[in-house]
Amino acid sequence: MPLDTSSYSLALLRLDGRRWNELRRIHAQISTQAAADGSSYLEMGNTKVLCTVTGPAEGRQTGQRGGKDNEAKVEVEIGFAGFSGVERRKRRNDKRTSEMQHTLSTAYSTLLLTHLYPHSTITIRLHILSQDGSLLASCINASTLALIDAGVPMTDYLVACTAASSSTSSESESEISDPLLDLNGLEEQELPFLTVATLGKSERVSVLLMESRVRMERVEGMLAVGIEGCKRIREILDGVVKGYGKRYA
Amino acid sequence: MAISILPPSLPAPRRHAPSDTSDHDMSDGEISGNEEFSHSTTTESIVTPGETITSDTQWMRGHGTYIPANSSTIISTVAGTLHKTNKLLSVQALRARYQPEIGDLVIGRIVSVQTKKWSVDIAAPMLASLPLSAINLPGGILRRRTAVDELNIRTFFSEGDLLVAEVQSLHQDNTASLHTRSLKYGKLRNGLFTSLTGAGGGILSRRGGVVRSRRQVFTLNTAAGEIDVVLGVNGYIWVSKHVETKGEKDAGITKLEETVSETLYSSQNEDLEPGVLKEITRVSTLIKGMVACGTRVDEDMIVRVYEGAIEMQAEEESLGGVEKGIGAKGIVEAVLARLALDG
Repeated sequence: MPLDTSSYSLALLRLDGRRWNELRRIHAQISTQAAADGSSYLEMGNTKVLCTVTGPAEGRQTGQRGGKDNEAKVEVEIGFAGFSGVERRKRRNDKRTSEMQHTLSTAYSTLLLTHLYPHSTITIRLHILSQDGSLLASCINASTLALIDAGVPMTDYLVACTAASSSTSSESESEISDPLLDLNGLEEQELPFLTVATLGKSERVSVLLMESRVRMERVEGMLAVGIEGCKRIREILDGVVKGYGKRYA
Repeated sequence: MAISILPPSLPAPRRHAPSDTSDHDMSDGEISGNEEFSHSTTTESIVTPGETITSDTQWMRGHGTYIPANSSTIISTVAGTLHKTNKLLSVQALRARYQPEIGDLVIGRIVSVQTKKWSVDIAAPMLASLPLSAINLPGGILRRRTAVDELNIRTFFSEGDLLVAEVQSLHQDNTASLHTRSLKYGKLRNGLFTSLTGAGGGILSRRGGVVRSRRQVFTLNTAAGEIDVVLGVNGYIWVSKHVETKGEKDAGITKLEETVSETLYSSQNEDLEPGVLKEITRVSTLIKGMVACGTRVDEDMIVRVYEGAIEMQAEEESLGGVEKGIGAKGIVEAVLARLALDG
């Protein structure tokens, strides 16, 4: 069992030695690819994602006129490196992948000021180089940075992180369970968790995804921890963008 | 519910992935498009998306900002520098795609041929269109297009051809319409195309880059002969052998048209001597290096850097052995350092 619940309740330390409210190390770079309009590289712990943005540009098929109502269309492509996971396997047209693509595409269609680029297409390409939990959250954070690098106007940062409940649903309800922040791969397999993305400093939730079963009364705590985590991540990403801007301003 | 989030613990020593402070010339180019804010005040720090610029109602919002519904605060939408022009606040992104403006001299590549127009890639969000009616038709006098011209549309420009043109008008969705109704414009040959910022040729407001409203087409004197340089504001650059127009001394505009029209739409390169080819490559590489260094790119600067580079090479050769492997950026840096010393 990856997360030894008994040892957690004793020392209040997780498998990788973090507290319940501790983020993993975040390392981010922008403008990593010269040939792209915008690009970024993001590490959240051992999850590593490379993102490139093309556009706003004319769509690939001519005649296809971007999004509807004089707005730009947002396309998302996610590619998994063969070596990214624990076992090497081909993932093609995976339902999980296409759901992630759809989630990102709808989130960014509302976030970006797409009406400024009528009929054009903005393509976000994500390359997952290593997976260790919080994959969707990392993809969202990397895309936000790459879109900022591409100079596409957006109302605010879209930042995401994950939160879990530290006890499984089978346990008695009297037991006190801490919410956990920013899960790694092992914790994700074991615990019920959700991914939440908020708009910058505000507490407005833009993406909320939960695929596991959890007691209803625990959701509130998880959500609160997740939103606070997003605020923290926004500060970190903002620091990256500002540091990059300072060198060129 | 008060929750404190602990920051990530101190990073482990990194083995790979260059840190933020590392050399950043991977993004090897940027061009500044706008000099029009030169008279306005510019703050040193940059703003990022979602950052409140002001909640004072006396300011007007410009590019790169927005005002949320039922509020009066101006909020930035891009990461860039804040510009104030009288009472107008605008944020210019650090990096963005080229946005066409009427009168811009651009270099483009034909993407597709349609019945009465061409689609041209000018690194803008949308492909530009070049109508058949907006080009100089061959055959002497300026004339209207005919059905024969429509059928022969591929003899003027076909897919992949490069051309220099001017933005004639902008449509409602910011699609540009080009024209080449001048002898300065038209098909490009005998030279080398360079894009200053990978795909897209994004216009960047960092220091440096092609300066709009300066002379963008000029001739450079080199040891091997004259070289034409065309700086498109969209970040596309053309360096080619200078070709004397035969009719230049002849009188009469119609005659000029006649002599030129034979070669106007030719796709055949002339014979280029190795010396000219070398100089063309040198100029184009130096321009790339200048962009990587963040200096402005205009006629004066290119001439100075080019002459400096030639001088430096001659000196190094006389001393024996030319320093190799420092790249375009290194050479331009060395030349700029020398220029600064000379005053």
